[in-house]
Amino acid sequence: MKVGILDYNACNLSSVFSSLYRLGINPVVINKSEIIPKMDKLIIPGVGAAKNCIDYLKYNSLIEPIKVFLANKPVLGICLGMQIFAKKLYENGLSEGIGHIDGEVKKLNTKINFNIGWKEVKFFKKIDKEIKIENLSSFYYCHSYYLSSKKNDYCVGISYVEKNSEIPAIIFKDNFIGTQFHPEKSQINGNKFLEFFLNWKRN
Amino acid sequence: MSFIRIIPSLLLSKKKLVKGKNFTNHINAGYPSTTCLALESQKCDEIILIDLDSYKNIQCPDFSSLSEISKIISTPLTFGGGIKNIEQAKKAFKLGADKIYLSQTLFNNKDIISKIKKIFGSQSIVAGINIITHNQKNYLLEDKEKKIDIFEHIKSLIKCGVGEIKITYVNNEGTNKGMNLDLSKKIISIIDLPIIFEGGLGNVEQIIDMIKIGANSFAIGSMIIFKDYNIYKIKQHLFNKGYKVRF
Repeated sequence: MKVGILDYNACNLSSVFSSLYRLGINPVVINKSEIIPKMDKLIIPGVGAAKNCIDYLKYNSLIEPIKVFLANKPVLGICLGMQIFAKKLYENGLSEGIGHIDGEVKKLNTKINFNIGWKEVKFFKKIDKEIKIENLSSFYYCHSYYLSSKKNDYCVGISYVEKNSEIPAIIFKDNFIGTQFHPEKSQINGNKFLEFFLNWKRN
Repeated sequence: MSFIRIIPSLLLSKKKLVKGKNFTNHINAGYPSTTCLALESQKCDEIILIDLDSYKNIQCPDFSSLSEISKIISTPLTFGGGIKNIEQAKKAFKLGADKIYLSQTLFNNKDIISKIKKIFGSQSIVAGINIITHNQKNYLLEDKEKKIDIFEHIKSLIKCGVGEIKITYVNNEGTNKGMNLDLSKKIISIIDLPIIFEGGLGNVEQIIDMIKIGANSFAIGSMIIFKDYNIYKIKQHLFNKGYKVRF
């Protein structure tokens, strides 16, 4: 199985790479659009600012190949890598996202506008019967923008940044799985999650 | 309620870990990557790795140790000590850092904040505030003329776009005598950012004293390096006292 990790020149690429490598996969780092179709699965890492990332993807003609890939094969978006699938993003000015998820990426509206640390994920739907992650498992977050959406059909797990202030933790739509948390930085739970994605077959 | 964050704070010098007292007298404290792996298995919540030689301008940051560590752990990693420009920051992120720790460079080069923010986002920048107490007054370690107000300094950094603050009580560092509770309380009430406290923690009771005044993130060094504690044990103690920790 060929797993590609998209390099947009501002992400924690090597952490995702190393996590997969430890799970027995030798991932392909992708920085050219023509390599994307050759992959079986695609991961888009996080750690980055929205506008800079979207501009990079547009400038390097990566948006269209990602959309085409997503129509047939599984994609995992982590943190910003998930947020770019929304329609609009507001970090460092407005940018237009890939638009697969009907939502907008906005600044956290909490006392402290940052969510840095571990949070429990409350699942209210199962992505898949194969997923072996228990309800209320903890994952690592590091962000100040979140995906806000009126339509929550595709949100399968949430976390609370503060009491009564929930954010989507896991998004699931068609071939797309997005996480606001960083599985590559979430120790055992994160490894289980990545393993799930690697074995995941769309029914 | 959020989890209490227990974060080992490791100092790097000549590819080894070191630990000292009041920022001096450093002695060998182990090999970086194996220590980090052990700390991960003890369920540390993050790791902070600071390059001492680079902080002292002896050499460039030790990227090879960073790379070696990030290859074997899946724990959030903050890297810093002497990062002076955006190229070094980029390199650190590329090699597996999730956050960049900046301290002395923030006195003469605040522009680096906006540059990192533009590419990697505010959440990736931790500002280090090293506080020394002299004649019952508090100053910034790097402020030789003792002119800069601590709170004005922190506020200006927040305005530039840092996402997290690490407060270090330099006088208490490595002494196990606990933290400055009054000043910590004031900092928590004024600063609306995640704050990591470091310097002086020697036992769990001192951590609980800090939690009671509203702190929730702690960087610890000598407590785990030279004492009979480990992260799991600290968390177990906190859990037994009714605090929320992650295992």
